[in-house]
Amino acid sequence: MFYRKNIIAVTGMFLCVFLIVHLSANAILLFPETTARTLYNSYSTTLRESIVIKIVAYLLYLSIIFHVVYAAIVTYKNRRSKKDKYIMNHKHETSSWASQNMGLLGVLILIFIVVHLVNFWARVKLGIGEKVGLDAYGNIDVYEVTYSLFHNIYYVLFYSVLMIPLGFHLHHGLQSAFKTLGFYHKKGLAVLAKISLIYAIIMSIGFAIIPVIVYFK
Amino acid sequence: MKITFKIWRQEGANSEGSLKTYDIDGLTEDMSFLEALDHLNERLVLKGEKVVAFDHDCREGICGQCGVFINGRAHGPHDHMTTCQLHMRSFKDGDIIVVEPYRAGAFPVIKDLVVDRTAFDRIIEQGAYITAKTGTAAEANAILIPKEVADSSMDVAACIGCGACVATCKNASAALFTSAKINHLNKLPQGHPEAHKRVLDMTNQMAIENFGSCTFTAACEVECPAGISISSIAEMNARYIKAKLFE
Ligand code: HEM
Ligand code: SF4
Ligand code: FES
Repeated sequence: MFYRKNIIAVTGMFLCVFLIVHLSANAILLFPETTARTLYNSYSTTLRESIVIKIVAYLLYLSIIFHVVYAAIVTYKNRRSKKDKYIMNHKHETSSWASQNMGLLGVLILIFIVVHLVNFWARVKLGIGEKVGLDAYGNIDVYEVTYSLFHNIYYVLFYSVLMIPLGFHLHHGLQSAFKTLGFYHKKGLAVLAKISLIYAIIMSIGFAIIPVIVYFK
Repeated sequence: MKITFKIWRQEGANSEGSLKTYDIDGLTEDMSFLEALDHLNERLVLKGEKVVAFDHDCREGICGQCGVFINGRAHGPHDHMTTCQLHMRSFKDGDIIVVEPYRAGAFPVIKDLVVDRTAFDRIIEQGAYITAKTGTAAEANAILIPKEVADSSMDVAACIGCGACVATCKNASAALFTSAKINHLNKLPQGHPEAHKRVLDMTNQMAIENFGSCTFTAACEVECPAGISISSIAEMNARYIKAKLFE
């Protein structure tokens, strides 16, 4: 039973590291129009052509799949272990809401990931949907894809609002992952709890404001 | 003091249960919660009704028998407290108090508020002891143990096996209990020879008994009467990984 949680923790942590890199890169979108377009497109091309990134990308897809599959198994089995529910349960007095609802938060994130991949990955890499043009330097104009997407208010809302469950998931998930993997130093855990909170806030707010700023560009 | 109890009544393991309402007067603030249930049962006897079955033994917070779920909390509204240590002064005159048995697949209801916690015993049987024949009590200073080590072992040895951790856990995980029993011995030199086997066997039994996986909601450490921290579970996880790698 332990290996399942260990897989969720390792893949979750890997995804957490990925989010830092991903947010840093997306921060390019906040530069003024011309700089942002050139930088973002050449960065994107560099990534697409790098073999290392290719391997990392496959690790990423695998991580998401393993994380979701094992999380679903663990959640299902845990529910089976607690079939009968209390008539009165004041669980909010003993634990955080996020920790009680990781599965629900995960499903919301999964919906996000699927839509996100359809919006970008499918168009740029698989060539599905509307054709993506080239910029002045001959790089695929991923900036344009982002720009047009975030001028649709519904997508802006979707991308921003779903960063709320992401924040809650990360706040509980990150500190939980350390404990799952056997980090048990008490003072260290208190520090990790704070780091997880700060990390979750930066990630959720960071990802959430980018579409909004691009919308008003 | 007057209280309305809504108590889970269930004839046997395979029968349907439901909440029954009992209005009861004549309680005092200095009664313990179990004494209030005694008081109710005395009235039920006089009326010729069946008494409410509930577990209890020491009534001083050390045996871990008195597990019930009171108003949505294991052992009632306070943190780190057994039911026998809970007093009626924690409630107000006219309150409604809902009393349910512990809920967990591994703790089936036997009758009313009594659940079968022998799954814990079977985890204990898998290694919460050392197999060396120790004879009579040895000279206390024969094995020197640093104070911090002895203290941290004592912290987890304080577990009274009450099951509140399982009861409050949304996954019905026995991780806090099992980790306490494992760490208690594995921290000490006496526990070292069988350390790896102990972790693997006891956690294996935990899975066999249909307890869930720990997801660190940390509800257990709030309810635990012995104040055992969830860092104990993290320590068990570390010992488990080590045992898997080096066994
Ligand atoms: C950006 C994406 C994601 C990141 C960074 C992430 C991160 C994490 C981390 C670090 C953990 C903690 C592991 C542990 O407790 O040891 C975790 C747990 C979990 N994740 Fe995710 N996750 C992501 C997406 C998802 C998705 C898409 C789902 C499901 C559809 C999901 C469902 C879960 C569940 C159910 C748990 C564990 C349950 C629990 O500990 O209560 N996650 N996640
Ligand atoms: S760990 Fe705490 S809550 Fe769990 S059985 Fe032991 S004393 Fe009770
Ligand atoms: S009756 Fe012994 S701990 Fe409550």
